[in-house]
Amino acid sequence: MALGTTNPWYRGLVALAAAALLARRALPGARVRPLLRLVVAAVAGAAILNPLVGHVGEDVLVTLPPALPVLGGPVTLEGAVFGLVAGLGIAAAVLAVAPLSLAVESHDLVNALPDQLNRTGAAVSAALNLVPGLARGYAAIREAQVMRGWRPGGPLTWGEVLVPTLLTALEDSVQLAEAMESRAYGSGRRTSFSKPRWRLQDSLVVAAAGVAVSVFVAARALGAAADWHAYPSLTVPELDLPVLAAGLLLFVPALIPASGRP
Amino acid sequence: MRLASFDRLQYWYPGASEPALRDVSLAVGEGLTLLAGPSGGGKSTLLRAFNGLVPHFHGGRFGGRGLIAGLDLLTTPTSRLARSVGFVFQNPEAQFVHGTVERDVAFALENVGLPRSRMADRVEEALAAVGALPLRTRRIVTLSGGEKQRVALAGALALRPALVVLDEPTSQLDEEGARALVAACLRLRDSGTAVVAGEHRLDLLRAVADRPLTIAGGRLEEGIPPPVPAARHRPPGGFGEVAWRLDGVSAVLGQAQVLDELTLEGRSGEVVAVTGSNGSGKTTLLRVLAGLLAPVAGSITRPPGRTAYLPQDPGAILHRPTVREEVQLTLRRSGARDGLVPALEEMGLVALAGRYPRDLSGGERQRAAIAAVLAGVPALALLDEPTRGMDAAARRRLVAAIDRLASEGGSVVVATHDEELAAAASFIRASAPGSWPPPRWSASPSSSGRLRARASRRRRPR
Repeated sequence: MALGTTNPWYRGLVALAAAALLARRALPGARVRPLLRLVVAAVAGAAILNPLVGHVGEDVLVTLPPALPVLGGPVTLEGAVFGLVAGLGIAAAVLAVAPLSLAVESHDLVNALPDQLNRTGAAVSAALNLVPGLARGYAAIREAQVMRGWRPGGPLTWGEVLVPTLLTALEDSVQLAEAMESRAYGSGRRTSFSKPRWRLQDSLVVAAAGVAVSVFVAARALGAAADWHAYPSLTVPELDLPVLAAGLLLFVPALIPASGRP
Repeated sequence: MRLASFDRLQYWYPGASEPALRDVSLAVGEGLTLLAGPSGGGKSTLLRAFNGLVPHFHGGRFGGRGLIAGLDLLTTPTSRLARSVGFVFQNPEAQFVHGTVERDVAFALENVGLPRSRMADRVEEALAAVGALPLRTRRIVTLSGGEKQRVALAGALALRPALVVLDEPTSQLDEEGARALVAACLRLRDSGTAVVAGEHRLDLLRAVADRPLTIAGGRLEEGIPPPVPAARHRPPGGFGEVAWRLDGVSAVLGQAQVLDELTLEGRSGEVVAVTGSNGSGKTTLLRVLAGLLAPVAGSITRPPGRTAYLPQDPGAILHRPTVREEVQLTLRRSGARDGLVPALEEMGLVALAGRYPRDLSGGERQRAAIAAVLAGVPALALLDEPTRGMDAAARRRLVAAIDRLASEGGSVVVATHDEELAAAASFIRASAPGSWPPPRWSASPSSSGRLRARASRRRRPR
């Protein structure tokens, strides 16, 4: 929905619904703030850059000297608003996928794999466990090499930090492979300790998202939920009430209680 | 009852010309078997033969015969032997598959296809056996090293093995964590599970072992030689000017206040041993002193000249093709012309100088990293857990190297939970009693009385 229309109403709706979910459900310690900063910077950047380089539109705010390469020419209100809406599209798309990493444990995602992928899931889970160690290892190795007189420079100098980081990661994964074998990994058909149970809430979330997307797609196919164009002069974007109602369903995940999940 | 027996076992790692195990014959029954021996002597290799990681995982050439719980070692894969033999590794960080304790302990049960309905009880049983039941729903990343090692032991116990093998299980743990792990091993032994532990750190295990063994140069012998008294090279006294000083230093890591208005100083020629449990701020103290972590308050004085820093993991240092080149890199960077041979000799590395550092055993690696860091004449040497994985001979070399540095006018700060090292005669101790959060530092009465550490009385809101 975020990228399927240029209509700012719908893009805003998606962004808001995702932001609400993040606000309610972000995992403890998840880095939501940096993401929000990035999103705001992207929107602001698009709103500022677009009018400076695209000189289309009727409402001229200011005219830069034509002698300036690329930047020279009229700076229009339409250009600024178009940039803002484009930025909003990016923001909505980024926010919509953010809960996958910021509100769901990666291990829960792996657990949710179908039984046929159980072994692969265990391997992926083990690999994910090495990631925090990789980051810690990089920091420790960088410090140790700085104390040995290493200074960051051209690409060649980074070998002194990246090579030990890579080797340490490889050694850790060999060690982990040993540990997995020692615990009977690969000895036959596996069972699983916990499978996330499918609950009423999960059905609700899927149904809400399904209805929202279906209504949106249907509306687009029937010519409703029209796109919006900034040029040549600004208009208020159209808003279809049925599509708005369907879009509000996207807030369901943020609204239902989180009980039951450990 | 014989749980495992080896008959004239011989083993060569892939590409090795010398065997790692030479004619090892051994029968292990119930009780606690303690395997000691120098670094690179074959401890880890022999332990891995108990569950078939040697030779199945590591490859190489194998001779002789092994029988584990009635199964032929050569024809039975590790994943099958795992039902009879549990294994705990040295590094508490790299043996977990899942993110939470109960989920991870259940990993082996999942692998053998135990029905889900029976898993919870078995997980509980395994956690109870190591005294870790309260940790059941915790996330692994929130556990201390000692807790992680006990959870790893529970994971090894989930399949109710008759034999549990532990490879240097306490080498990376503080006193408290090590004691809890050893207590868990003793409970296991008393309940009828055979335990085989390979260790350098013998203080806790020597007295309780039912069967002491030593492996050196790939040869196994009964018994463990008595400890050699700690070296006492240099009488205290004769210190120079104040070389380094932390003045009212506070430091935070993430959200946690780790150092709280710490004042501590050391003179040239003085060795300060900072002790305390894991999480008490020892590493942070060293990082602040090294200039790697900026304090939020206070000032730091360092001596002019090079500051050498040994991180906890020797793998953070080693990246050159040979041990020799590791030492040469430091010498070149510090502008020293010579010093290669003395540095190699000091840590007993002459025979290993041409080897790839990462192919060495844990203790040998540590020695290589120490030589690479201390080469030349650093004005200040900061060593974080330098005895990790080191045997008695290597520890004596380390103490001698530290004393040499000090006698040349250098200052040394050693962060360690190794009581034996901290008690070396020429060292002065500063301790962080209690642990996280936030530590209260104090100086123990030292013979010279030159160390001044002040504990802040004020507790800051965290």
